[in-house]
Amino acid sequence: MEGRQSDDQLELYGRTFSSRLLLGTARYASPAVLADAIRAADPAMLTLSLRRQVLGSSHSGESFWDLVKETGGTILPNTAGCCTASEAVSTACMARELFQTDLIKLEVIGDETNLQPDPYGLVEAAAELVRRGFQVLPYCTEDWVLCRRLMDAGCEVLMPWAAPIGTGQGPRNPRGLRELRERAPKVRLIVDAGIGLPSHACEVMEWGFDGVLVNTAVSCALDAVKMAAAFANGVRAGRAAFLAGPMIPRDAGVPSTPEIGRPFASASLRLSMDHGTDTSSFH
Amino acid sequence: MFVIVNGQTHSLTEPQTLGALLRLLSPAAPFAVARNREVVQRGAYEECRIEPGDTIDIIHPAAGG
Repeated sequence: MEGRQSDDQLELYGRTFSSRLLLGTARYASPAVLADAIRAADPAMLTLSLRRQVLGSSHSGESFWDLVKETGGTILPNTAGCCTASEAVSTACMARELFQTDLIKLEVIGDETNLQPDPYGLVEAAAELVRRGFQVLPYCTEDWVLCRRLMDAGCEVLMPWAAPIGTGQGPRNPRGLRELRERAPKVRLIVDAGIGLPSHACEVMEWGFDGVLVNTAVSCALDAVKMAAAFANGVRAGRAAFLAGPMIPRDAGVPSTPEIGRPFASASLRLSMDHGTDTSSFH
Repeated sequence: MFVIVNGQTHSLTEPQTLGALLRLLSPAAPFAVARNREVVQRGAYEECRIEPGDTIDIIHPAAGG
């Protein structure tokens, strides 16, 4: 959670976090499972939405809100379901009033089938929200020009998808994501949608992404709590590997064991000759 | 007069403030309110006059990804 001391912290809009995992709060089997999953994931932020209250209903959302508050986690409201810039700006303003935070995960959906962001509406909404003092985290694709426009609009953090929301496919365009990371080394990049496995999260963290947001991959696992812990480990492992500096892949095999002083060298050479790999000794 | 609250038509006996309407409806806390898609600050409920045909949205926290 926010403010905990560690050597390597995630910094987003002036807030620091020891965790690089962001967790969604939707589609859990029960509030108790959600609470346990939050504890297991130890996320930097929790994403929430806002919906019309069913007046007079006992399902008012109070218990859900109490549960989230008790975790002490930083709230990241979203504009999920918005399809125009105008809707997204209105929803963000409502979120700020409700949650008393300037943070907003900006979603402007452009396609109902794959829930792809609408790049035009996204940039328009981001610019307006930044002008109004919001700290905007836009859900976007890995498209470089779109990301550049969002940065130009004042976004310090981008949330490129790995794959369409809720698919769990993992990174569909690894090359594009890695190019984005290379071309925008200073902007914070949180991989948002489409992550299905801890290995996906680990992989993008190895590429140097700053964090990962998951929801469905955790909440729809057979054991959401164990999966939440697995994602926390995956993100930590990937980050540690990135910081450690991975080796550069090679085309040919290179023995890891030193050659000098190897016993039975002649027998090994004969074996090599039998397989025709050493032609220099035939003649 | 009639107003739309969370998509449902409500009949009000007389013009009133948003504060009075909220006391009538008693939404569960926490909530935020928009009148005709514009957020009404918490401290401005009593000054906010509701007009016939207004659209009122009362929202609360919900699960999200």
